[in-house]
Amino acid sequence: MADLKLLERLCTARGISGNEDEVRDLILEEIKPYATSVEITPLGSMIVFKKGAKRPKTKLMLNAHMDEVGMIVTHVTDEGLLKFATVGGIDRRVLCGRPVTVGRDVGGVIGAKPIHLLEEEEKEKSVPVKELYIDIGAKDREEAEQYVTPGDAVTFDSIFDTSHGMVKSRALDDRAGCAMLIDMIQSDLKYDLCFVFAVQEETGLNGSRTAAFAVEPQAAIVLESTTAADVAGVDRENQVCNVGGGAVISFMDRHTIYDKGYYQLAFKAAKKAGVSCQAKRAVAGGNDAGAIHVSRGGVRTVAVSLPCRYLHSAVSLISQEDFTSAQKLVYELADMIAGEEQDD
Amino acid sequence: MDELKGLVFRLCAAPGTQGDESAAAKTAVKELSKYAKAHIDRMGNVIAKMGKPGAEKHILLDAHLDQIGMIVTNIDKHGFIRVDRSGGIDRRVLPGSPVTIYGKEILTGIVCCTPPHLSDGSEDKVVSVDKMAIDAGLSKAEAEKLIRPGDRILFRTAPKSLLGTRITAAGLDDRAGVASLIRCAQMLAGCELNCEVTILFSGREEVGGQGAVTGAYSVNPTHAVIVDVSFAEQPHVPPEKCGKLGGGPMIGIAPPLNRVMIDRMIETAKKNRIPYKLDVMGGSTGTNSDEIAMTRKGVQAELISIPLRYMHTPVEVIDLTDVEHTARLIAEYIKGVE
Repeated sequence: MADLKLLERLCTARGISGNEDEVRDLILEEIKPYATSVEITPLGSMIVFKKGAKRPKTKLMLNAHMDEVGMIVTHVTDEGLLKFATVGGIDRRVLCGRPVTVGRDVGGVIGAKPIHLLEEEEKEKSVPVKELYIDIGAKDREEAEQYVTPGDAVTFDSIFDTSHGMVKSRALDDRAGCAMLIDMIQSDLKYDLCFVFAVQEETGLNGSRTAAFAVEPQAAIVLESTTAADVAGVDRENQVCNVGGGAVISFMDRHTIYDKGYYQLAFKAAKKAGVSCQAKRAVAGGNDAGAIHVSRGGVRTVAVSLPCRYLHSAVSLISQEDFTSAQKLVYELADMIAGEEQDD
Repeated sequence: MDELKGLVFRLCAAPGTQGDESAAAKTAVKELSKYAKAHIDRMGNVIAKMGKPGAEKHILLDAHLDQIGMIVTNIDKHGFIRVDRSGGIDRRVLPGSPVTIYGKEILTGIVCCTPPHLSDGSEDKVVSVDKMAIDAGLSKAEAEKLIRPGDRILFRTAPKSLLGTRITAAGLDDRAGVASLIRCAQMLAGCELNCEVTILFSGREEVGGQGAVTGAYSVNPTHAVIVDVSFAEQPHVPPEKCGKLGGGPMIGIAPPLNRVMIDRMIETAKKNRIPYKLDVMGGSTGTNSDEIAMTRKGVQAELISIPLRYMHTPVEVIDLTDVEHTARLIAEYIKGVE
């Protein structure tokens, strides 16, 4: 069962790419008593080694990223409003009308021109990002600059709801993956394993690229969240994956053609664990596997994702059952890879 | 200001869409009852009496209780909730918005948003309401157990403090006005007045002002002061149509508004050093004052507006000093009635 209290703490922690400290501190506090060793890389990723009962035949690294998409303050206007740039592939259509937090704790909103004053054509188009700004209630530049400065991180205000077997929250991508890794580190392992909590996934896979170099693994499992397009108005063949259908296994995305043997092994692991899983039925998106699988001389890599609706927006949705089945699958798959079970 | 902020936050936390204002009405009655005897009429309006009963001048003070939202029309075969607008909600802010569904239990929903890679380049086109759906993460069977057609949906944003005296919340249009009249009632409580005063918090403003029409008929006043919100200066909006956050109430001048009342309102502001801005409109005002002025054989009416940014979005912004100044302006106006 998912530790929802831990997931809530992870999802309400704030950490856009390049500002992951708060998330890392929280994870460190959770795993420290259980880890054999912990190393922080120069870029800020955290590498955790944990000894298992046996030495692995294949050196396996498990990876999840700590950062989330968000915004960054670029400029303070004379009126005391904040211009911003997006950080990571945020869905620009969902920015307008959102309450946000700037820097450590300054409340703000992303407003819009009132509907009453719009021209007809403006009503039919989402507001261009260049017209958007954050209003923190400052009267002018001087007041605003007492509280914020260009470079301050901006995140959506948190919502966390776990009713009816779902989780609706900010930053499930990829704090849900972090929660799974934490759970593994806190358990007894069959084999020695390396865990990477990566920075800067959303802005170019930088954390995992450098961490994989440091770890030098032979194999990797990437834990992610991936777009579930099973929403109103999308035909079945375009849905990519389904919430409630179990963990999602990728054969190919925009950055990676996945190891075929491990792809098949993942389905076998699901069967062995008695949980459902599904193929990612589209070549779309990408994740840390893109950097990890080409690290040094190459790393056999598999991605296990949670189907997640409204990825990269203020509130996304996963199923608790998917979380639990992905977790079971990953335990099984890690043992199979580390113990070198063959796909037959 | 903290006391006033608490009042505005409590009012904004109570849901009240058109025709379903009861939670907001109960909250307003509770707050208003500290200063005047208040009740809820058969249309769901809140009515409270103050001042001198039977006086020659009977002033109606109106602010609308309802806020924009959505209404459930049906549940589709996949459990997604289909909706229509209740009031002029801004469709541009809907995709991906968290919302609260007031079903048999209170549920968190998300307005469906097709992933950008599936939009064939049309992702910036705003979807029409009949194509929109709300995702509560429920199957059809679960959704049908908890949600019925007619249930109401509101933006899910908690009221929040910004810098200084500015705040943000959904539904400040027109809970800010309601708050200003409750604060005005507090200022008038215990005063000897020469007129009769009736406070009306009316329903259904955003769908035509039916609450104000029937409320004003029942109250049968000689004069009326309507408090609503209007545009505050912000980028991309013409300044001539705007007040200024923190710049005080906007005193309305428009054909349906009474010139004598307008001039007395300006005089009152000047005399009491209350900041204000004139808000000139060439036709009807688009507020309850249009309806109230035409009640029975006619009512002399004046409109006072609280400047507000980002109207009809989940993140409306006001400055609490404007609420306080609006309350003071109207209280002083009433105290000055001979």
